[in-house]
Amino acid sequence: MKPVLLIAINFAREQRWPMLTLLLWVLLLAFLGLISDIHRQREDLLFVFKLDAVYVSAFSIFFGGSAIYNERRSRRILAVLSKAVGRQQYLSGLVLGVTIACVIYCFALGMTGSWTLGEAGFPISHVWFLMTCLVAACALAGTVALMFSTFLNPFFAAGATAMVLGIPALAGQILGPRWGYVIPVWQLGATVVNSSFDSPGAISWFPILLAGAETLAFWLLSARIFAHVDIAVAVE
Amino acid sequence: MQFVLEFDNITKEYRSFASKRRLRALDSFSLAVEAGEIFGFLGPNGAGKSTAIHLAMGFMRPTSGNGRMLRKPFGHAGTRRRVGFLAENVALYHRRAERLIRFYGALNGMSGTHLENRAREVLEIVGLQDHSKRNAGKFSRGMLQRVGLAQAIVNDPDLLILDEPTSALDPLSRVMVRELLLGARNAGKTIFLSSHLLSEVELVCDRVAVLHRGRLARMGRTSDLLQAGEQTEIVVCGIAASQFQGAVARDGGVSFSVPTHNQRAALERVWSLGGEVVSVNPVRRTLEEIFLEVTADPESGVPKGVQ
Repeated sequence: MKPVLLIAINFAREQRWPMLTLLLWVLLLAFLGLISDIHRQREDLLFVFKLDAVYVSAFSIFFGGSAIYNERRSRRILAVLSKAVGRQQYLSGLVLGVTIACVIYCFALGMTGSWTLGEAGFPISHVWFLMTCLVAACALAGTVALMFSTFLNPFFAAGATAMVLGIPALAGQILGPRWGYVIPVWQLGATVVNSSFDSPGAISWFPILLAGAETLAFWLLSARIFAHVDIAVAVE
Repeated sequence: MQFVLEFDNITKEYRSFASKRRLRALDSFSLAVEAGEIFGFLGPNGAGKSTAIHLAMGFMRPTSGNGRMLRKPFGHAGTRRRVGFLAENVALYHRRAERLIRFYGALNGMSGTHLENRAREVLEIVGLQDHSKRNAGKFSRGMLQRVGLAQAIVNDPDLLILDEPTSALDPLSRVMVRELLLGARNAGKTIFLSSHLLSEVELVCDRVAVLHRGRLARMGRTSDLLQAGEQTEIVVCGIAASQFQGAVARDGGVSFSVPTHNQRAALERVWSLGGEVVSVNPVRRTLEEIFLEVTADPESGVPKGVQ
């Protein structure tokens, strides 16, 4: 477990610049909360809050899709895997790292959202429920991207991830909402995006649990694929 | 005989995804490294040295054949706790050198004050104790190679696999690495050393193997290989250089080489001509000569890449 934690923390640390850039959007929300009339401009604040939520979902795909590629390209992966670290542990570290990066962001967003939206009348407990949905969606999206990144470059990995996450969403629109739960990233995202002051939305733990289970499944699949990949070969 | 690293009939092919072309990097490659020796692994660029090392470390899988490291199959993660590895192009995270070493040590299960002390110790060994608080991202290539070496030895490994460990080092640092390797061997460690610096290999390695086009071209004890030339150099005085074919006048004497089995006849001829024998020595070859001989193009006789 220790190597997994070390790799995860190291990964999150390596992503500090994109993370800090992303956190500027949370800072923007906090800034708007400071300078604006929270009650009068609450819809604008909610919009920025949702925008921040969408950004982190996209970033989780970026984090997951480029993790292995960057490590292989820089050849830093060799020094790590030359230690007593199994490939499965390495991948677990990356999955956990993506999740930690997203948790840090969602925590900051949740704190800012609790203050700004809470002041404006949005239930604070629901802000944290939405953040839980977001973390679950990001962990799943990041893991799917990571799985594709074991054998594709980041560009194709992101495309393939968008397809895998988008097809159930599309099926949910055409064939019925149940199809949207096949890979519930879209459903979880929709929970955040569709919430409003008048109707914050129902609290349902099912998609979160499903996302957790699917994250585990995709992680196992990633580990299986990654075990057969020649990592010392040039990635280009 | 106890082997710590064994390649057993390993073939490795790289396949191009688009063109379906295959490149055979290793071809039925077998090799066994004994415990407690420094083993030199030589070969021209593209011979398959790094491929062999990466297979041993479990970074890639052989197309056929298998191998064992410390009696476990290649790729066994737990075994790497007893292995130190330095890649050809050192690439490490950008953080303070001491923290970096602690990070890699912790990945090998080390912790606490033992790890802290060991991190300081290895940085001292590689001569970077004054730079331990500096970010490795700002290091020169030579310093980076030394940090790489420090992370390789932080766990006090039984087997040290080094891919070009001195390529970016200055002569002083090379001496440091040489002493480090000899010290490790004296402590009973095994070192598998891939290098192009043949003079270094000649100085420290007990055995060497030359890899060429994915195949093992030559292997043996360094001392045996260097003396394998069946020629004897005779230096005489008191006779003309024209008396012996290929003889050259040097420092008031005459020097020439003869096949070792003709040595006696040559000496008798020197005496019969009234000459005096100054010295008789077996011709000692250099590793470079052996390397060039092994890697020579069979048609032109010129080492590949020199044409």
